[in-house]
Parts: sequence; structure tokens; C-alpha cells
Amino acid sequence: MTTFDEILPVIREVLGTLTEALEKLEPVILNRDLNGRIRLILDEKLQDQPETRGAVETIVHALEKRLGPHTFPAERMVLFEPSLEMVKQGALHFPLQGFDAVTVVDRLATETDWARIEPVSSGASRIVFFSIKGGVGRSTASAVAAWSLAQSGKRVMVLDLDLESPGISTSLLPDERRPAYGITDWLVEDLVGNGAVVFEDMVTKSDLSHDGDIYVVPAHGRNPGEYVAKLGRVWMPGMDGEGLREPWAGRLARLLTALENRWQPDVILMDARAGIDEVASACITDLGAKGILLFSIDGEQAWSGYRILFQHWRRTGVACEIRERLQMVGAMIPEVNAKEYVDGLCERSWITFAEELYDAIPPGEPADAYFSFDQADETAPHFPWPIRWHRGFAALQSIHSRFQGMGKDEVKAVFGPLLRGIDAIIGFDGESHE
Amino acid sequence: MKMTTDFLDAHKRHWEDAELLFTAARWANADHLYGLAAECGLKRLMCAFGMKIDSASGSPARKKDRVHVDCIWEHYEAYRSGYHDGVSYSLSSLEFFSDWNIAQRYAPQGDFTREIAASHRDGAGKVYNLVKKAIWEGLIS
Repeated sequence: MTTFDEILPVIREVLGTLTEALEKLEPVILNRDLNGRIRLILDEKLQDQPETRGAVETIVHALEKRLGPHTFPAERMVLFEPSLEMVKQGALHFPLQGFDAVTVVDRLATETDWARIEPVSSGASRIVFFSIKGGVGRSTASAVAAWSLAQSGKRVMVLDLDLESPGISTSLLPDERRPAYGITDWLVEDLVGNGAVVFEDMVTKSDLSHDGDIYVVPAHGRNPGEYVAKLGRVWMPGMDGEGLREPWAGRLARLLTALENRWQPDVILMDARAGIDEVASACITDLGAKGILLFSIDGEQAWSGYRILFQHWRRTGVACEIRERLQMVGAMIPEVNAKEYVDGLCERSWITFAEELYDAIPPGEPADAYFSFDQADETAPHFPWPIRWHRGFAALQSIHSRFQGMGKDEVKAVFGPLLRGIDAIIGFDGESHE
Repeated sequence: MKMTTDFLDAHKRHWEDAELLFTAARWANADHLYGLAAECGLKRLMCAFGMKIDSASGSPARKKDRVHVDCIWEHYEAYRSGYHDGVSYSLSSLEFFSDWNIAQRYAPQGDFTREIAASHRDGAGKVYNLVKKAIWEGLIS
């Protein structure tokens, strides 16, 4: 019996044998509903047309036979609509591979779909810290980056968007300095038009930097309150001023813009949730990030996870929009055999990028006209910026006290490549890091 | 003869017949059917959002939900707002049905105008589009 992953390949196979019938019906929408069931949606001009009835019958019976529970009975499989454009509105849609006139409209139960890529924000540079697996030092690295940039005189805003496992604000703020509210509080209040009440009191300046400023926006305030009850509501879509639906990620983007306007940071660092998650998707695709740092240790689970994501971007046709913003970061490089470890990490990273995101260069074509990189190219997105494992930075809880006595050399020794890379993303010469 | 209840089927046929009558300038019965189309469409959506149905009668299990379109707005809102993605099914207002009444089927034709029917057509059309969206999403079938 057909399972979900076979739906699209089976349809391609079926339609590949029925091209004559298909041509009579094009353009065709393959609507995959929330339950993963396929329906055909055709232009209503074709309804009750004797010359196309046979084509419809041929295709729906062939699909019914092959797709089984992943479609509707043949007599109910086709819907006719006056506007096929309207069917696509608000839903993820992409061409069926190999069939330009067949569009898959995919309806997900989640708000985000990882495939609507917002252009890079024109304001302060926004940088996302992401990892497929947790526990790789992502939050610590973002806290260190915030501290280092602030030491160089920058106004840095740090958002803890790991809402389901908050942490970074602890490393930048002692408990007594946490603001009264956090991102979760704003997202809940915004649903009832009450966001302004918490807005001014959801940001606190960290006392760690004396030259620049670190504005910390935590996931929750001093008192988390009914955090689980609030977290269960942050994903709610809202209504905009004109009564139109606003996805929760749109509400988050609106908050980010308001925070940027209010506090005027030079750079915004966002600690995203690990994994293929709603918040992570919003951070990576919906908030106009200029740099997306992909933290990874060298493990099969991580490469498999990144490959899933890269394939999704390729399948949905958005790989070109996002790949230039990606940068691999090699996390927790072991002290023993570090060079061999980094070489292995680099090789597997390159294989993943090359197979899923880099262009294949046709024979005889100049390489520089394509988005393609050698394995050893240090400027390439796949080439990992290494962060050595360091006992002193391993425990996030102790970071705030650790920062207070931390020297620049110590930070540079561990995080140097990451900090130089971030400087390059935001267009900062980084001299004052020295 | 005992018949079953099928809000979706009833919604579609009332809408389609209303459209035929509207095209033929039969304002009175077009107007009547637009009201019934909206009621049936909203009740089908309310079922998808959690409204229980009495299996014996096919009517809403709560007697308070057994209302016509001129009184359905708050009932629809209650079920819609309990559904996590209810925002996608919001209707800006149903005020345009506040002057519709089931008893108007006894009224003389001359009391109905194109404008009256057109305003209810607009409202029923919005419900029609929401029902279509629910079908595309697989919420109802």
C-alpha cells in the first residue's frame, strides 16, 4: 500500500504514462490536504466537457488504484474551480518535478513550512544560531558573540527564541536583572491587542559589556508565570489591522521590527531552537536573516538532519534564495586529534552541501559562474568555522560569572573563527576585537 | 419519508439554486436560499470545529445551536475560536444577515429587491469560499 513518501513519485510515474490525457487538462493542481490525501483541482471550464471527460476518468482511476488511502474515491477526486491561483494562495506550492504544468499545493498543519524565504532585512544585520541537534554549544557561542561584539563598541540585541528550552538570557543576565516579561509574554498579549503593555519591560541591558551595549530579550520574564499555558498559545495566528490572517511568524517578525526600531541595535543575534521546529523555521526563513549559522558536531544524525532540510529547499525551489546565507560551524571540536576531526567534519559537510545545494558545473563551463566550491575552500558555506571544546565554556550556567573575569585572548583562542566570520557577515572590520 | 442531514450537500444545492434564481432576477427566493446556504455552510464548519450532532435527528446536539443564519453568528464564533486555526475561518461580520428571517418566505415578492438579495449573496459567498477552503485542507470532505 502506498505510504506518504511514495505519493509524489507514484503520481509522477502515473502521469508519465498518461501524458496525452494530462495535456488536455493542464494546468493541473495536485492538492495534498492536511491528512495527506490528494485531490485534483482543475479549471471549471473543463467541467462537463465531453472532450475532456475521458482524460479525467483515465487519470483519476489510475491514481485511485495506486494511491489508495492517500486520495479520494475517483468520483470525488476532482474539484473544479474558477481560479486556480486562488487555490494556491496562502499555501506552500511548487511544481511537480518533471511536470511544469502540474503544481503541488501542500497544506501543512504547522504554520511555518521552511520554504517561504523572506529577503534579507534592510536594517541591522540579523544572525541566526541554529543546530539540528541540541547540546552543541550554540547558546554559549551566541552569548560569547554578543559579548565580543559589544566589547568592540557595538549595540547588540540578543533574542532567546529557544522558547521551549530557554537559556541564553541566563548566560548574559543574572536572575535579578531579568526584565519582567519576555518574548512569550508579548506573543500572548499581542493576540488580544495588549502587546504594548509588556513591550517596554521585555528588554534589559546586560552589565557584562562596558564599551558597547547588549540588549537581552529573554523567552520569559523574571517570573515565568504560567509558562506552559502561554507557550501553548504563542503559535496562534492573529489578525492584522485589516482583519486579515497574520501567521504567528508574521507576528514575531513584527515584534522584531518594533524592537529594532525602539532599541536601534547594530546587530541582532537570534538563538533558535534546535531541530526541524516551528521556531527554528521562523528564525531561518521568516525573519530576514543575513547569516544563518549551522552548528554541528560530526555525527550521522546531524548530517541526516541537514540533508533533510537542504532537500526540502531544493524540492520546493527555494535553495537559491537561502544557500548564500548559510554557514557551517564546527562545534565542540575535541582536544585530541583535532585536525583529523575537523578534516572529517569538513568532508561530510562538503558532501552534504555539494549533493544538495551546490550547482553542478557542466563540462567546459567556468566554475566561477556557478554556486559551487571545492572542499578545501575556506570561504565556502560548507567549510566549518571551528569552535574548540573548552572546559570553561562547557557549562552554560556558569557563563555569566565567567564572562566577568574573561580575557579577550581566551575568547579568541576558542571562538576566533566564529567571531571573525560574524564580523564579515555584518561588514565590520573587527579591528577592535584585537 | 425520513431523510438524513447533510449540511455540506444542502449548502451546495442552496447556493447553486440561489445563483440560478439570482441570474433569473427571482430576488425573493434567491434571497431565501442565500440565507439557507450560509446557515448550512456555517453549520458544516461548526461540526468541523467540534459541534456535536444528535445522531437520531441529524441536528446540532445543543438545542441552542439549532438556529437560522440571522442568529448563528455568536454560535459560529464560539466554535471557531475554539479551533487552533480558527483565525483562518473568520468572517468579518454577519451583520448583512441580521435583516434576513426565515419567516420572510411568507412575504410578497414585491418586498424583495436586487439590492437585498445581492447583500445576502455577498455574505453567502464568503461562507461558500470558507467551505471550499475547508475542503481543500481536508477539514471536511
